[in-house]
Amino acid sequence: MEGIGAPLMSSKSVSLIKVPILDSSNIGRIQPNSLVRFRGMVQDMFGNELYVGAFKDGSTWRTNKFTDVASFPMSSSTETRIWERRLLYCVPVPGQSPWVVQSSDSASSSETVINRCGNWTPQHGEKRRREDDMSVDQMDLNVCPILLFIREDGLPCQASQSQESVIGGTSPIQSMVPDFDTKSLPCLVKIYDSPESELKLNDVFEFVGVFTFDPELMVHEDGSDEFSSGLCEDTLVHLPPNKVPRLHCFIHRKLAVHDFLVGSPVNEPMPNLVRGIRESLLRYLTAVLGNDGVAAQCVLLHLLSQVHARVDAIAVGKLSLNLTGFSRESVSVFGNQLNIAIQSLLPFTQSMPLTVENLNTASLAPKKDYQTNRLLAGTLQLAEGTHLTLDETQLNAGILNSTGIENVRLLKNLMDLQKVEYDFEYYKLEMSSDVQLLILSEGKSNILPADLVLPFQPSVVASSVNADGDSLQAWRWYLATLRSLPHVIDTELQKVIEDDLVAARQEDRSLGSNDFSSGYLELFRWLTMARLMSASFGETSLSLEHWQMVKELERLRKERVK
Amino acid sequence: MASDSSPSHRNEGPSSPTDPYSSPIGNTNSSPGDAHRRRRRRSSSNASGFATPPPPHSRFVATDATPTPSSIQSRRARRSSRATPVATPTSTDEAPPSSEGGEADEADEAPPMFVWGTNISVQDVNAAILRFLRHFREHPSDTEGKYMRAIHHIIEVEGESLDVDAHDVFDYDIDLYTKMVRYPLEVLAIFDIVLMDMASRINELFDKHIQARIFNLRTSTPMRNLNPSDIEKMVSVKGMIIRCSSIIPEIREAVFRCLVCGYFSDPVVVDRGRINEPARCGRQECLAMNSMTLVHNRCRFADKQIVRLQETPDDIPDGGTPHTVSLLMHDKLVDAGKPGDRVEVTGIYRAMTVRVGSTQRTVKSLFKTYIDCLHIKKTDKSRMQAEDPMELNNGSENMNEEVPLDFQDKIEQLKELAKLPDIYERLTRSLAPNIWELDDVKKGLLCQLFGGNALRLPSGANFRGDINILLVGDPGTSKSQLLQYIHKLAPRGIYTSGRGSSAVGLTAYVAKDPETGETVLESGALVLSDRGICCIDEFDKMSDNARSMLHEVMEQQTVSIAKAGIIASLNARTSVLACANPSGSRYNPRLSVIDNIHLPPTLLSRFDLIYLLLDKADEQTDRRLAKHIVALHFENPESIQQDVLDLPTLTAYLSYARRYIHPKLTDEAAEELTRGYVELRRRGNFPGSSKKVITATPRQIESLIRLSEALARIRFSEWVEKHDVLEAFRLLEVAMQQSATDHATGTIDMDLITTGVSASERIRRENLLSATRNLIMEKMQLGGPSARLMELLEELKKQSSGEIHLNDLRNALATLASEGFVILHGDTVKRI
Repeated sequence: MEGIGAPLMSSKSVSLIKVPILDSSNIGRIQPNSLVRFRGMVQDMFGNELYVGAFKDGSTWRTNKFTDVASFPMSSSTETRIWERRLLYCVPVPGQSPWVVQSSDSASSSETVINRCGNWTPQHGEKRRREDDMSVDQMDLNVCPILLFIREDGLPCQASQSQESVIGGTSPIQSMVPDFDTKSLPCLVKIYDSPESELKLNDVFEFVGVFTFDPELMVHEDGSDEFSSGLCEDTLVHLPPNKVPRLHCFIHRKLAVHDFLVGSPVNEPMPNLVRGIRESLLRYLTAVLGNDGVAAQCVLLHLLSQVHARVDAIAVGKLSLNLTGFSRESVSVFGNQLNIAIQSLLPFTQSMPLTVENLNTASLAPKKDYQTNRLLAGTLQLAEGTHLTLDETQLNAGILNSTGIENVRLLKNLMDLQKVEYDFEYYKLEMSSDVQLLILSEGKSNILPADLVLPFQPSVVASSVNADGDSLQAWRWYLATLRSLPHVIDTELQKVIEDDLVAARQEDRSLGSNDFSSGYLELFRWLTMARLMSASFGETSLSLEHWQMVKELERLRKERVK
Repeated sequence: MASDSSPSHRNEGPSSPTDPYSSPIGNTNSSPGDAHRRRRRRSSSNASGFATPPPPHSRFVATDATPTPSSIQSRRARRSSRATPVATPTSTDEAPPSSEGGEADEADEAPPMFVWGTNISVQDVNAAILRFLRHFREHPSDTEGKYMRAIHHIIEVEGESLDVDAHDVFDYDIDLYTKMVRYPLEVLAIFDIVLMDMASRINELFDKHIQARIFNLRTSTPMRNLNPSDIEKMVSVKGMIIRCSSIIPEIREAVFRCLVCGYFSDPVVVDRGRINEPARCGRQECLAMNSMTLVHNRCRFADKQIVRLQETPDDIPDGGTPHTVSLLMHDKLVDAGKPGDRVEVTGIYRAMTVRVGSTQRTVKSLFKTYIDCLHIKKTDKSRMQAEDPMELNNGSENMNEEVPLDFQDKIEQLKELAKLPDIYERLTRSLAPNIWELDDVKKGLLCQLFGGNALRLPSGANFRGDINILLVGDPGTSKSQLLQYIHKLAPRGIYTSGRGSSAVGLTAYVAKDPETGETVLESGALVLSDRGICCIDEFDKMSDNARSMLHEVMEQQTVSIAKAGIIASLNARTSVLACANPSGSRYNPRLSVIDNIHLPPTLLSRFDLIYLLLDKADEQTDRRLAKHIVALHFENPESIQQDVLDLPTLTAYLSYARRYIHPKLTDEAAEELTRGYVELRRRGNFPGSSKKVITATPRQIESLIRLSEALARIRFSEWVEKHDVLEAFRLLEVAMQQSATDHATGTIDMDLITTGVSASERIRRENLLSATRNLIMEKMQLGGPSARLMELLEELKKQSSGEIHLNDLRNALATLASEGFVILHGDTVKRI
């Protein structure tokens, strides 16, 4: 059976593009027992399922692997072997931006493929020539085959939040497969022969396998089973196959952010090209932020941040940003604009108004429901690299109930440690997360102390800023690629930095100390910013110039805070 | 006692009859007993011996409806095809009672029988079990075997089960152990037969079924590693019960009554999960068709319960969700555990087909798994910290101590650790490793965690063993971080913030129970952290009222309450770890500690160690800090921390030490203590100076004793050695040098702490007082015109060389006013 995966793996970029992506729009059209792809986040794990893996049909061995039902009748006395497979409950990644969905929508229909990559040039003029409406994505005509795999797959369906615009594309040809939830299509993926450590909760994966649908399975319970009436009831009872498709997975592949991009302009980050994209992105952000250049720089660094490592409780590399100075009015202008911009730049974004009511009622942490034996997703169950905007301007005075207090604590933990506690009723389980947090608030947020606090000072009330598709695409690629660049500091510069840090500390005793944290977070942050700054230029090692830029940025920020 | 021979002269091979009474889920724990009992009754009526033991099947046989998988399935299928429904009333005689007498011979005569599909000889196993039960002795000196004694006991109390320690089996007969684990269904059945057989030999009237409950397997399987190869094997699984079903009555024997004539049928036993309703009345005279109806209250039911077991957090790998497994409990085991209990379960892992549709093929391709429970053990009790005062409130930190074996291993490991020469430093390093520097503070905290010995003299005097520590320091010196860390580490502890704590919130308060209307005492933070550590952040921001409550707690270690008719004294044997910001938010080195902290000296003196965490502008430290930060960012983070103990080990180490190590002072150490204390006090005498500075108070010597005890504990040593005492002195000095330095003279001055005023300061004040007095005597007339303060100040400044502040003058005048020497009116002074 392992043989199946191998050829697929070897030539995945070529062969897999032909495999349709299972999503809500085509679920009706795809024939059961055909090969499909599914992209989603592992939301829950149901444990292992034991099945008759092999049985003897006469003198030949037959298998039930990759199927729900035996392909040949099994007689009761036959010799059998029991195998196991893992059940994963996968959902579309929470907070998918519309462009991710759209790109995958049209992707599967594209056929003419080659010739884009040759045409790519760093000049913006070149790019702008092809100013198709990016969001409708006709770009798929222009992507080189190597990147095709990346661009082709896209996500199976719309994210649950805020994407009504795209929904409704369900196929009119409703075949035998009935009433799937068209808005958000979860999928029960059955994994064979892969080590447990490979698939983790909240990871985003692409699964390639057989989509099965057996009408027999729909007639589910016969009720007489003591176990289902007792409490060993099957989780699957709540997930009938007509609601949740089954996928028997041959191969799976972890997806990083850039896998969601529709094509990438370049494979190697070439310095001047990167520099160009950076400039244009910075210009765009500046425009979005009403000509506030410092804020734009900070937002850029913030968008590039990512948890690289964990040392004790510290998540190295995170950079949460708190833009202060918003009022309710300005939030509706700049906040919205910023949100839209971020949504169009990053594949997974969420935003959440921080109100007393919201805090008191929302279920932020995922919670295990032992009645159904499912993990109920909370707002904070997010895939790695998700961007979360919290709008604190909506916060009024009010009383937090216990849920509210718990929720605030969760948010604070997420902010400080990048960890979310999952509620398993009898105990809490801490899960590491990697979420970029942006807080918009009037004054410095005391509830959610961010790493970087910057008073926002727009000078122009900006009219809506539009970006063309080409540049958007370049920026997406830029953000996705550069954030994962490796980073080093050579020993000489290390010395310089150390000296600078010491000097800064000698000068200002409050530096290196921080009211809420372990003493050196501020200095720590500088280093994070330095790393991000150099990454934003596509550099893998920190240069003195970038270090100076960070110091300059920090100086400007300080001035504002005063 | 019966002879050695196995009583298994069986006419039915083990492969023949499947238990006809098995339930659909396969566990019919009590059925064999019933069957045997009945059969035995029957046979004993015509034979004085005992009946043939039933074939080795009994409790765990699945029915045809839900065949167990794999090879076993087919094995069972075959077996059941040949099954003889032994106990159905009509066919009882098919199993002819064995001839009694001469068992020994028969054992030899009987042809060897094997468990189907294996080379396990039933006779061999039978004999092995018998040998084990008879001859296993815990100590060679025991006259009677452990299990023989147990069996006698069971017979006496009419018990139903015999707990068999698998370790004993292993020690006695490895082969038997292996067979038991690999073929539990068969071997346990034989086990039960042997047991019943023995019981009835000992007491012929004893006809209850005794069930062997195996526990304490040598290996325990992590829940997520249960896989198809474990099916039908005996496994041991640890976890936490999350749900229990209600008790399900499972029918064992049904009695029917004829609606026509009222005839009661013989009890009908469950046959492959079903009760066969008699088609016609059994009475010859009636024979009415379809007239039989079930009589519920004459049926026999057994309890059954389905329990869900979930992995405990410590078994869950990174990025996984907890696995769960179903347990099937029968009879006595029902309700043995409640949701939330941590248990270790020994049982047989089984799979059952899922009846998905009506179609044959779907039925066969999936399985549900469960564990047929044999034995359940609550692991909470055996945890290392069972009665430990320092019991961990966070269960996840002590996974390994749950099994006695692991427990022993763990202790050995800890002892090994304790032997390391650098254990003290190592522990210090492991404490809050992400907090930079502050080694001496960490050492103090370590001592606090380990604690000294509490002493209660026969006279009733009490000496606390808890060490109280106060951290005072500039903002951003990781005080709160340290506090949080200790809170996390401390076995029991409450973390409060001074600003948010009221006096009653800290101690105890009286409340009316809303339901009963009774007044009840609700414990506050200090009482709740009895035998733990109470961490109080923002100590300086606490209201005075709340702080004064601490006086009693910190020395007497009790909280006395007298309100609303409740007079009580509650134990609050807690160490207090407090941290405070200096009053001006930044430490002013020119002021004394007292002035900086703004805490009443009475309270302050109750802290054994007071650390000043000052953010000194020290380039060395800064550079190290900078290096550290840079390294965190750009080096492999793993390489940064060297040989520190992880949190679970640290907690285990701590718990063990607190529980089992009670160090005593050696003579040498006691001498050193005395010597050092005298030295400390003598230091107050300046050569050539008349002023006396008290450098140490009796409280300090108590502190010293506690500290040295804690230090000995850290080494797992029962004796406080001289070097412990020396280290304790060093710690105290380090702490005092920072906090009790008289900034005017630069010496240690405990007066600073006990009165808030240093000796030199006192002398200065006295000088000023007398100068003022003299001045007023000279310049002012009795009852004369009043003088302004400023004038006096000018005069004084002229006279003395030193700097005099208006405030000092005011203080001096206030003193004079209290003597009745002057009257102070706002800014004017009048002599009277």
